[in-house]
Amino acid sequence: MNERRQVALMLAPYVFGLVALVALPALVTFGLAFTEYDLLRSPEFNGLDNFRELWDDEIFGIALKNSLVFAAVAVPLRLGAALGLALLLHRRFTGVGAYRSSAALPTVIPDIAYGLVWLWLFNPLYGPINLLLRWQGDSPTTTAWGVQPPQWLTHPNDARAAIIIMSLFTIGEGFVILLVTRQGLPSELYDLAALEDATAWGIFRRVTLPLMAPILLLLLARDTIFSLQWTFVPALVVTEGGPPEFSTTYVPLFVYRNAFEFLRYGYASAATLLMFVLTALIVWLQWRIVRRWRKGFAI
Amino acid sequence: MSRIALDAVRKRFGETTALDGVDLEAREGELLVVVGPSGCGKSTLLRCVAGLEAVDEGTIRIGERDVTRLRPAARNVSMVFQSYALFPHLTVRENIAFGLVVREEPKQVVRERVAEASELVGVVDFLERRPYELSGGERQRVALARALVRRPDAFLLDEPLSNLDAGTRVEMRTELRRLHREIGATMVHVTHDQVEALTLGDRIAVLDAGRVRQVGTPDEVYGRPRDRFVAGFLGTPAMNFLTPDAARRFYEIPEGTVLGIRPEHVRIDPGGVPARVDLVEVAGSDAYVHLDRGLVARVPADSRPAEGGGVGAGFDRKAAHLFDEATGERREWT
Repeated sequence: MNERRQVALMLAPYVFGLVALVALPALVTFGLAFTEYDLLRSPEFNGLDNFRELWDDEIFGIALKNSLVFAAVAVPLRLGAALGLALLLHRRFTGVGAYRSSAALPTVIPDIAYGLVWLWLFNPLYGPINLLLRWQGDSPTTTAWGVQPPQWLTHPNDARAAIIIMSLFTIGEGFVILLVTRQGLPSELYDLAALEDATAWGIFRRVTLPLMAPILLLLLARDTIFSLQWTFVPALVVTEGGPPEFSTTYVPLFVYRNAFEFLRYGYASAATLLMFVLTALIVWLQWRIVRRWRKGFAI
Repeated sequence: MSRIALDAVRKRFGETTALDGVDLEAREGELLVVVGPSGCGKSTLLRCVAGLEAVDEGTIRIGERDVTRLRPAARNVSMVFQSYALFPHLTVRENIAFGLVVREEPKQVVRERVAEASELVGVVDFLERRPYELSGGERQRVALARALVRRPDAFLLDEPLSNLDAGTRVEMRTELRRLHREIGATMVHVTHDQVEALTLGDRIAVLDAGRVRQVGTPDEVYGRPRDRFVAGFLGTPAMNFLTPDAARRFYEIPEGTVLGIRPEHVRIDPGGVPARVDLVEVAGSDAYVHLDRGLVARVPADSRPAEGGGVGAGFDRKAAHLFDEATGERREWT
């Protein structure tokens, strides 16, 4: 058997899975985007009607804006947190294994369980977060510095903040990748920087950051894609898309409700297609912006 | 330029003693080569001088300053690494300028010094390239330029030639020698390669198991090795060592001593002690003749004997060294 055939054969199971489980459903979804389909009757082609309706749909507008704001705020924070933890924990010291595990652990908890834990943590009355904030407050409802603690699950902005805070603890994958990247950087470069009197900030800016940039950029693209989808479970389990209405409705939840609650498959497919195009566009733009910059990092 | 002096320096890593009371001086303007087998502590020694490792005991002086407890940057030394340690994201020019830029020197100064240093090591033509576009030799030149640009008190070179292919290594060795003569700087050069040490150093320090075995000019350490380790470590092929029994056929030596004779001093001549030729290795103009008496002779390749044949072997008593069998220390003929 020649090498090409061997490679093809070894790839076959993966390609089959990819086609059957991702590509085909995606194609079907994209096709359904141009139909009216309620799971009972056969799909009916309706051209661009779904997209016209989405354009006028106020709730879709809100969901889209929520999703984009979430990604714009959460992605830099998540990358920053993963990088910060990786730089703190890349050295060996007593107990570092435990720290590394706890940084990575929340990522492996099933989404639903993770959401339920936060539902308790965020409870405005007896949740530990607000209990802590109210600790030593002047009255039972204010913090020590005299303001009301956030109304996590009942106030729109506080609820959006809550979802972002939740996302900051599922950075295990990025953390592990950045940890390994940092450990792989040649120690001589740091010896050299020490001999040249570079400050901690100088070393970070002139050595660590540029050398980790290719991986950071990859993670940026990956995390953008991830963040536009990650909101689904927290929004469904923790805030139920509210409060009061739609303030934490993100595109994935919008799609879910239309498809499985309102049985508007075609409409939901159109929203999915739009989100897909938008995600691709954002990632492509990021890539364009950093491509020239990136060339210098080839080792 | 300043001298570097180590006084009773000790360094341990857990249970391992890397430096075991090292006294060593690199004189002002001298190129001192520290040579020894892998794991003998030579790189640790250099890193202690640079301040990248803290010493457990002893003092290190650069010039008249006690730098033992100073941070690396305050010692004003430059280091060149085996792996070159060039920043992949910076151009050659930016790499050379790194130390000056970090110290926020004025742009004019940076420009002048970079031009001067790159001229000195011959990297002017590729200042705008990045390290991955350069060959190993070119990269090491850039690393040298970066070390030069800051005008340090001393240069520390950690196996700078070890990653280069054989041809480039010889070329860079000459280049280093020329550079040293031109700038007259104090340099400490660490290597495991004894040929490099012998050809490059003003003086050589032979290190083994964290101790300095001998310091001297290449002629001294090669010609009058202070102990059996130094004698065996320097020279290719290694020195022959003969026990009193084996040596008796040539000369009587005192009990409790070992006779050492360098292969180039062993003569193949018909009047010598009869021996059989086991193996002949030809290395260019030389041939290494392995005799059945545990003796290796280095002879011109064109006058080498045939394998399996009988020859006579001998050497001058004057050329032979005596070492104490127990301590390995050099003994004089009586």
